[in-house]
Amino acid sequence: MTGKKVLVVDDEIHIVHVVAIKLRNNGYEVISADNGAEAFDLACEEKPDIIVTDFQMPVMSGLELVEKLRQRDDTKDIPVIMLTARSFAISKEQQEDLRISSCLSKPFSPKELLGNIEDVLYQKQVMVSN
Amino acid sequence: MKLRRILYAIVTVIVASSLFISALAEWQDSGTQEDWRYTGFVQRIPVASVCCILGAVGVIYLGWYQLRLTRAVTSIATLLQDDKSGDTHDGKRFFPPPKLTKIDELYQALRKHFAGCTSRITEYEKKIRDLQVKFQLSQRRGENTEAIIYSIRDAVIVIDESDRLLMANEAAGRLFNFDYNSSKLKPVSELIGPEQDEFAHFLSHNRQSMGQATRKEIEFSKDKTSEIFDCIVSCLYDQDRQVCGAVAVLHDITREKQVQQMKNDFVSHVSHELKTPLASITAFTEMLADGEANDEKTRKEFYSVIQSQAQRLNRLIEDILNCSRIESGLIKINKETASLTMLIEEQLQMIKGYAEEKEVKVIGQKPIIYDQVDVDKDMIQEVIVNLLSNAVKYTPSGGSVKIETEVDENAALVRVSVTDTGVGIPEDDIEHVFDKFYRVSANKKQAEGTGLGLNLVKQIIEKVHDGRVFVMSKVGVGSTFGFELPLATGQAVRTV
Repeated sequence: MTGKKVLVVDDEIHIVHVVAIKLRNNGYEVISADNGAEAFDLACEEKPDIIVTDFQMPVMSGLELVEKLRQRDDTKDIPVIMLTARSFAISKEQQEDLRISSCLSKPFSPKELLGNIEDVLYQKQVMVSN
Repeated sequence: MKLRRILYAIVTVIVASSLFISALAEWQDSGTQEDWRYTGFVQRIPVASVCCILGAVGVIYLGWYQLRLTRAVTSIATLLQDDKSGDTHDGKRFFPPPKLTKIDELYQALRKHFAGCTSRITEYEKKIRDLQVKFQLSQRRGENTEAIIYSIRDAVIVIDESDRLLMANEAAGRLFNFDYNSSKLKPVSELIGPEQDEFAHFLSHNRQSMGQATRKEIEFSKDKTSEIFDCIVSCLYDQDRQVCGAVAVLHDITREKQVQQMKNDFVSHVSHELKTPLASITAFTEMLADGEANDEKTRKEFYSVIQSQAQRLNRLIEDILNCSRIESGLIKINKETASLTMLIEEQLQMIKGYAEEKEVKVIGQKPIIYDQVDVDKDMIQEVIVNLLSNAVKYTPSGGSVKIETEVDENAALVRVSVTDTGVGIPEDDIEHVFDKFYRVSANKKQAEGTGLGLNLVKQIIEKVHDGRVFVMSKVGVGSTFGFELPLATGQAVRTV
């Protein structure tokens, strides 16, 4: 998975920082944004391989970001992993409808997040090759 | 008895025939005048005498019998009359009971009957009096119950077995917009309108189910506002345990629901706010443990983040506790008369180091004002330091923060204002800055905060000291935060 581009979105600068270090240490390229609106523009421009986003953010929430991404042809298939500090913030139906690959609740383990990212990207690769 | 009747008949026949024979004999005598002395004497004396004696006896007997009959009838009439007038009849006040057996039997039977009637009448009269008392009591009880139902704050509706209105109180009339006095026996579904269909259905359904009391929370929408009511419906039973209607009590729980929602929101906010620094601490600790920090500089950076996030967590917990202590009134308040100027001076010294670090100029108040206020010194110092540190926090390097105090002798209050040349607050956010956990999105990047500092300021000033907080701001120009406190017993001396 080396060289894959990951967009990390969180209004908490320390979270973006720690995720970026973990991913960079494992060979990923990381770009970041601190709210949904900024992330959407960046996603349209950079076409990341996967997006890791917080749920609750100012200006535009993580959920709104995914909804907007799913409406565009060039971003609709980007896998998304959601981080959330609130339990039950997203229902199973919402997760399925918006094709959110997985939800991790805060506090989360960077190791677990990395594992999730690798799984999702592997599945995506398998689907593309098929 | 039969014998007596025959005897009366014979006597009457004899009297009648003797009178006829004597009359006939006299007529014959008048035809034979020459022999009248002999034949008249022989024929007339024995027959006429016997007939006359028997006739006389018969007439006397009949008269006597008539008298007894009259007395018996009179005594019965008297008995009836006296009984009618309600007198008691113990027998002494009447004619002696007649000797004629049948009349006597009739008399005794009537007497017994009337005695029974009188006792029954007395009994009935007693019952009527009891019933009258019971009726009055029940009427009074009914009036009391109605008065109680009318004065209950909760809406009460009583319906009969055909879902028609039997009774409703003022609160119910207000809620469903009908006149409860003139709506009796009208179908309840018509009275409360199609908008409140859910309630009408719930009421009718529960009456038909004949079961236990049932409760349901129902939302009533009226004029764009909605109110939530806790509705309890119980069946009404008659003496034969048959359902004869239902009673519904509707309790307004809108406020309770709002408080509950606020509590839920608060818990949700708190957990979110606590989890954010905790997430950083956990992630950075794991990174250190996994050896992801490659060099000493990165490790130091990680330690520093963990430390700052732990402090943030501690501040949050302290602020949450202080807020809830003040809200619940559990905090101990030690009010004493103090000079606000002196309190401000102390806090200015505390903030100096932080301001110098950020290259922000702090300007104290001039001229010196001697103002006395009754305050909890620790709390007011917390307020001042919060306002000052906020001002420094959101003011870029090279800017300034000014604290001023002025006394309004007419209004007997002192006003403290902290003005900065910082980033300012957008108009939409201004009214929310004192809300719990509210942070101005545009300024989030400028500095860390718990979103509780200004709420604490508001609580201390308004709830503990009966003062007032205020804010004015313009984006890019700066903000002024301040508070007003009542002067201690109106004393204020100003020297320049």
